[in-house]
Amino acid sequence: MSIDLAGLTRQLELLRDEILAAAAAAPDLASLERLQIDVLGRKGRLTAVLRGIGSLPADDRPKVGAVANAVRAAIEAAVAERREALRAEAIATRIASERVDVTLPGRPVPRGSRHPIPETIAAIAEVFGQFGFVVYEGPEVETDVHNFQMLNIPLDHPARDLWDTLYVDLDGYLLRTHTSPGQIRVMARERPPIRALLPGRCFRYEAVDASHGFEFFQVEGLMIDEGTSMADLRGLLDEFAGALFGAGRATRFRPGYYPFTEPSVAFDVRCVVCDGAGCPACSRTGWMTILGAGMVHPVVLQYGGLDPERYQGFAFGMGVERIANLRHAVADLRYYLENDLRFLEQFR
Amino acid sequence: MRVPLSWLADYVDLDLTPEALADRLTLLGMEVKAIERWGSDWRSVVVGELVAVDPHPNSERLSLARVNVGDGTLREIVCGATNIATGQRVPVALPGAVLPGGRRIERAEKLGVVSDGMLCSGDELRLTTDAEGILILPADAPIGRPLADLFGDVVLDVDVKPNRGDALSLVGLAREVAAVTGARVRLPRAEVAEEGPPVEERLRVEIEEPGLCPRFVGRWVDGVRVGPSPDRVQMRLLAAGMRPVSNVVDASNYVMLELGKPIHTFDAAAVEGGRIVVRRARPGETLETLDHEERILDPETLLIADPRGPLAIAGVMGGAASEVSEATRSVIIESAIFDPVSIRRTAFRYALRSEASLRFEKGQEFGLAPLGADRTAHLIVAWAGGTVARGRVDTNPREPEPVRIPFRPARVNRLLGTALSGAEQRELLARVGVETEPARGEVRVPVARGERPHDVVAAGEEAIVAVAPPWRRDLAIEADIAEEIARIRGYERIGGTRPDTPMPAYRRSPLGVRDAVRTALVGAGLAEVVTHALVAPEELEAYRLRRPVPSLDDPEPVATPIRVTNPLSSLHSVLRQTLLPSLTGVVLLNLRRGRPGVAIFEIGKGYGRGPEGPVEWWRLGIALAGAATPPSPLLPRRSFDLDDAKGLVEHVAAALGFAEPRFTAEADEPLFHPGRTARLEARLAADAAAIGLVGIVGELHPARLEALEIRDRLVLAELAVRGLGEGWLEPPKVAAPPRHPTVERDLAVVVGETVPAARVAETIRSSAGPLLRRLQLFDVYRGAPLGEGERSLAYRLTFWAEGRTLTEEEVEAVVAAVTGALEREVGGRLRS
Repeated sequence: MSIDLAGLTRQLELLRDEILAAAAAAPDLASLERLQIDVLGRKGRLTAVLRGIGSLPADDRPKVGAVANAVRAAIEAAVAERREALRAEAIATRIASERVDVTLPGRPVPRGSRHPIPETIAAIAEVFGQFGFVVYEGPEVETDVHNFQMLNIPLDHPARDLWDTLYVDLDGYLLRTHTSPGQIRVMARERPPIRALLPGRCFRYEAVDASHGFEFFQVEGLMIDEGTSMADLRGLLDEFAGALFGAGRATRFRPGYYPFTEPSVAFDVRCVVCDGAGCPACSRTGWMTILGAGMVHPVVLQYGGLDPERYQGFAFGMGVERIANLRHAVADLRYYLENDLRFLEQFR
Repeated sequence: MRVPLSWLADYVDLDLTPEALADRLTLLGMEVKAIERWGSDWRSVVVGELVAVDPHPNSERLSLARVNVGDGTLREIVCGATNIATGQRVPVALPGAVLPGGRRIERAEKLGVVSDGMLCSGDELRLTTDAEGILILPADAPIGRPLADLFGDVVLDVDVKPNRGDALSLVGLAREVAAVTGARVRLPRAEVAEEGPPVEERLRVEIEEPGLCPRFVGRWVDGVRVGPSPDRVQMRLLAAGMRPVSNVVDASNYVMLELGKPIHTFDAAAVEGGRIVVRRARPGETLETLDHEERILDPETLLIADPRGPLAIAGVMGGAASEVSEATRSVIIESAIFDPVSIRRTAFRYALRSEASLRFEKGQEFGLAPLGADRTAHLIVAWAGGTVARGRVDTNPREPEPVRIPFRPARVNRLLGTALSGAEQRELLARVGVETEPARGEVRVPVARGERPHDVVAAGEEAIVAVAPPWRRDLAIEADIAEEIARIRGYERIGGTRPDTPMPAYRRSPLGVRDAVRTALVGAGLAEVVTHALVAPEELEAYRLRRPVPSLDDPEPVATPIRVTNPLSSLHSVLRQTLLPSLTGVVLLNLRRGRPGVAIFEIGKGYGRGPEGPVEWWRLGIALAGAATPPSPLLPRRSFDLDDAKGLVEHVAAALGFAEPRFTAEADEPLFHPGRTARLEARLAADAAAIGLVGIVGELHPARLEALEIRDRLVLAELAVRGLGEGWLEPPKVAAPPRHPTVERDLAVVVGETVPAARVAETIRSSAGPLLRRLQLFDVYRGAPLGEGERSLAYRLTFWAEGRTLTEEEVEAVVAAVTGALEREVGGRLRS
């Protein structure tokens, strides 16, 4: 059968119409792909139609070629369009099927908590670390000599009444009543300049109530050099109070008493509960004592092996629970060693 | 020290409000702990005049008083006391009044007569101790005035520090007030009308121990009438916290509060021949003390005795036999100075610490001995009558030289960070009675006192000499003078500077490893706990390990515990040796409080008593119990078991840069489940010869679980960790990821049930050689087609070679070697 230009063109147009309809009706991507290969592939129907081109006069061949290209382009465009439509449809279906209640809670991740005692110690160490203070630790079962005598508290001295002591069945030893013996231990191993921070557990013969325990934690600080003065102590403690309770918080320096410092200092901050108005938390004084301090007593410097004429410096000691109470608005320090997880899990 | 302000005002003018005064004292180092309003608990109690006192019409024991309280009416008040008479002024509680203790007074019928209020006794108002009679007020008490206006007071509770024994007195605190206000201090009157015979005829005192009693001043008063003290005196003593006893005893207590000088009074009739000996107790001697305890006296004890035997424990407590009583006619006043250490030891030995011993043990101003004796005699005559014998017995009338303390104003400034001139420093010192004089020539400045006195020689022009007043026994060295200067000037005026001294060298924090462990375990969902180091002895024994966890860099644990010799309670009487009992306690507490699951850890110490003293070692403890997951629709419910704890141990090991821990079965610890407990050990990743982690992990023995009423399981671990006490983490040295493809092979090894997985893994590792880079167990299978008593362990082996692609042949050769080794060493075969 011979074929002329018009016939061939007609065939191409029929093919085009048929395929456009088929593409538009293709139910899924796979059948669309099959359709495309079936028509446009090397052995496809378009190729088959174009095989008739050989029997056309040479003049007509380019014309058929142009028609064929137009048909091919139309089919490709139709397939592409349908492909896009199918993809969009598929995604829409997926979205519809994957819809969840986003208000449900997430998959829980195990959540731990840091205990406020070591956490507070770390916070204190961070502040003083910026001023070059480094951490040391001493034993908790201490000698009477380190805990008292070398701190200028001889045997039978009335100042011993300041510390109700737990004694142990080891001659000459006791459970340290404060972190201050660490001062002696640091001086014995370091030469000035000394800037030391000594955190740790302490013990006292003390009935337990909201503000006392027989076990508690302290952080001791020690700074020794040739010119370290009481004004330096004030300056550093003000920085510390600002770091912990906000830069604007008022502080107060007043005389205190410790046998191992001279002069001795009590350091107060404006009550963080009432801001000075007077409340039960500050015994209506408007002030809260956060630490004791003073210039290291010459006798203590001597026991530390330092010349008390050449060297001077300060020491301070604070109750970790007291600082933690203020930082975290805790009113009763019994919570710290009780370890009710409903309390602890609030810390991060 | 309780300080009634009306009393303090006897010695110094108080021109400040109580609040301002309290503030000034606090800033001076005399911390006011509380401001108490004395009389604030009297409401509607006023002064009334007894216009008439008649018998009650219906009772012989009651009277009917007509009382004028200044409101233009006469009230009829029924009264049971017998000491009232027409014309007296008395406290009247009007209907609606409230008395101390919350007692309410209303109009009430008493045997047919309506009583329009109540007449009050001193005791009902807590003003005196007299509960029998009505408190008779001074005749000039203004009628109708609220009683609180007349007898109300403000009492300051002052925390006097142990170095300031001188301030345990009203005069001492008056001096502090004067330092602030510039007012003058008025000492109490102590002149004595000596109308009796010379004291030597009555009293002789012999001191056998002048070291323990450097001064004894005695006075003798004849013809006293012992009875209650004047009301005003009783009120003062009560407000100051002392119970009135009798006029003579109250006089001595009054002087103690006033001057800080403890005084003892004896019934002279009980002192044989008026002869007093101050000596140590002799073996076997006993004394019945004022509290009616028969005390066996220790030979260390200093006694006041007469030729027959002990009269009193010197400075601590009197004896019952020589106590002043209503029958007493003559009184011996003892005003002595005792050795502070001896008094303190004695008071502790007999558990008799008193207001007197508290003052003696802080040391006493020498001159208080005669002053205290005179003042007491003065008060006894005023309150109890009698005549005072002429003169005093005084065993050491020589007053000591004042203490001179040369100091350098420049050194004071260096210490305080101030720039005060010498003149300013002198002026400040003068305000607390510290006089100064110029240094003439070279002086020795006391820098330290004590075991090793340390003086510095200073040229006259750079030093000033401070002369401490005799009551300031706390002033001894230059630093003490610096403190006085700072204190009187006001600590507030010491400006804050930032130190500009040299920096110390860098030092690693000893907390590094603890922080890393904490971060790892908190990140894994555990709550950190901190528990008591003091535990009960039974707990310590119940949780004792047969084979304790050995130490890595701490001293080895010692099995002998350290016991507290004066524990508050047996529950906390011995230092723990492992963390396990306290952790179990926390688990139980939280389970009992309804917590579904508990996952906790603690980093803490164990303690023991070694041959050379105490030993402390750091440990990490972990405890898991109950629900392992929070309730969630997204997570399957399960309970904690051994594998969770092992996973945590592996997690910690990885966080610290240790190799994977090796577990071995532990069936021999009675505390633990014999089939679910392992010893473990992890080497350092960088050094296989060194151990980084060692310990025990296991489930509590089922029998113990039952005893503790824990429903499912309690998993416990105790671990020694390298560097936990004092260590840091080296940064890891890392390798580049392989640039050539890695090859993976999965091998399912069938072995007998009794072959530990650790042995299978070890066999694979050692036979595979260096090309095996990773070995992971990913499945364990039992059942068909495997035989009875067999299980299959499926491992993924990952191989790679540095710098080249592995060939199939190389990998196959390794797998063949592994297969062979498995067959030889653990009887294993590959499951195809």
